[in-house]
Amino acid sequence: MERRSFLKGFGTVTACAALIPTITHAADEAKKVTGPNEMSTESAIAAITGGKPVTASAKVSLSAPEIAENGAVVPVKVSVESPMSANDHVKAIHVLATKNNNTRCANVYLTPANGEASFGTRVKLGSTQDVLAIAEMSDGTFLSAKQNVKVTIGGCG
Amino acid sequence: MKTLIKIKPNSYKVGDIVKVDFMAMHPMESGMRKDKDTGKIVPAHYINEVNFLFNDKVLTKMVTWESLSVNPVLSISLKVSGAGTLKVLAKDNKGESVETSAAITPKG
Amino acid sequence: MRKLSICTALFSLALCGILNAEESMSMNAADKAMYAEMLENNPAAMDVAEGEELFNALIGQEAYAKMLGIKVKDLPVTVAGFPRLVKAAGKVVTLSQSLQMAAADQGKAIPKLESKEMVKMSAYVKSLANDKKINIDVKANKQMQEMVALGQKIFEERRGGRGLSCNSCHSADIVGSRLRMQALPDLGSSETASAATWPAYRMTQSAMVTLDKRMQQCMKNALLAELPLGSKEMVGLEVYVAHKAKGNPMQIPGLKR
Repeated sequence: MERRSFLKGFGTVTACAALIPTITHAADEAKKVTGPNEMSTESAIAAITGGKPVTASAKVSLSAPEIAENGAVVPVKVSVESPMSANDHVKAIHVLATKNNNTRCANVYLTPANGEASFGTRVKLGSTQDVLAIAEMSDGTFLSAKQNVKVTIGGCG
Repeated sequence: MKTLIKIKPNSYKVGDIVKVDFMAMHPMESGMRKDKDTGKIVPAHYINEVNFLFNDKVLTKMVTWESLSVNPVLSISLKVSGAGTLKVLAKDNKGESVETSAAITPKG
Repeated sequence: MRKLSICTALFSLALCGILNAEESMSMNAADKAMYAEMLENNPAAMDVAEGEELFNALIGQEAYAKMLGIKVKDLPVTVAGFPRLVKAAGKVVTLSQSLQMAAADQGKAIPKLESKEMVKMSAYVKSLANDKKINIDVKANKQMQEMVALGQKIFEERRGGRGLSCNSCHSADIVGSRLRMQALPDLGSSETASAATWPAYRMTQSAMVTLDKRMQQCMKNALLAELPLGSKEMVGLEVYVAHKAKGNPMQIPGLKR
């Protein structure tokens, strides 16, 4: 009897496990809420660059934690190597959270009076994803840097 | 909207680059979160524009989005060209705006 | 259907366990440094600034010092020793309770312990003691001795549906173990120093929270009945936890996950 009920229970669990992928998938679809400013990374980049190429560059440094303690408050710092002179400066720093519903976090338009091309803030990350920084240079080129941030489940509420 | 400007370090000279931190108390609602009690989606409510001016000249303009954390913090650099006033104008998508100022007082 | 949802829950729990086991969930030194740097820009600083205005309008440093029977210049050291025996009360009180007493002395409306105003004011007054070490003296008098004993008893008492105590997660032999990705903190260590770093801005709540309120939240999560703010048991618990962090410099407001 004991063995029987055990087997029965086991059967149910296995069946459930097999069903789970479709169930959770359906739930995800139903749950998906789109915000008022929904925009994909591709569209956001196109809007920033007007279709010009973006080059990954060591001149752009992006720091964010590898593991975020809390997805709601993730520190992000961007700095770009530049003399910040009238002729040679960083015109803008754009920060994107690539998997958020609206990937745009901030578009920061700098001037030579900043002295240094730096920007720091804290962003919300809905899930583990890349944070992308794009620097718009005064010569019309676009440089970038990205970092993956793992968003984990915290301890006690 | 409560705000705060911090200039770091405390003491600086003309020609130094200082860090300007701007903080605001703001819910930064994404427009995607459901109210726990009513089950209704809370409308988007976020700061969408922040302009930094030094002696009334534009230093940095920002377009910001709901992906910034609640009670956002924004930090930039300023090369101190002399004494003056740093002004920050912040506006949210519901039209509320606030102006905050801090004195820039270089020593020597 | 109910069976299904239970199965799903079990399955996802198992999955979480596996992920946790496989991945190293510790933050590296650079990550920790980034979070430490965030303390410089603590949104709770705005609450503390408002707390100063509220406190000055309601009580003021002179009236508060007078109520405590001390000089204004001794406020920081005195504040760093709460909860303490306040003669005017004839019992051990928390800093927030002492502010209620001072407000009553001024003939003002007494702010509730859980009110936003009180949270902000208590954080401001506690911040007067910043950089001063916690100097709580649990042997100072009979009342303090009783309260620390009561606090320890509450800390170690297993209760609620799961028979958990504060000690279940915060005892010396278990701290450092992980609950999901978080290391369980030793409340008294210099790194945590609970009593020296609360009220703190809690990132999960996007708001500043007091130590006793945080302890209530912890009880709720562990399925323990919440001890009321200001109750003898809660004050005792705060005495015990403050004593654990004795000697650590006050850093108000703190910043927590």
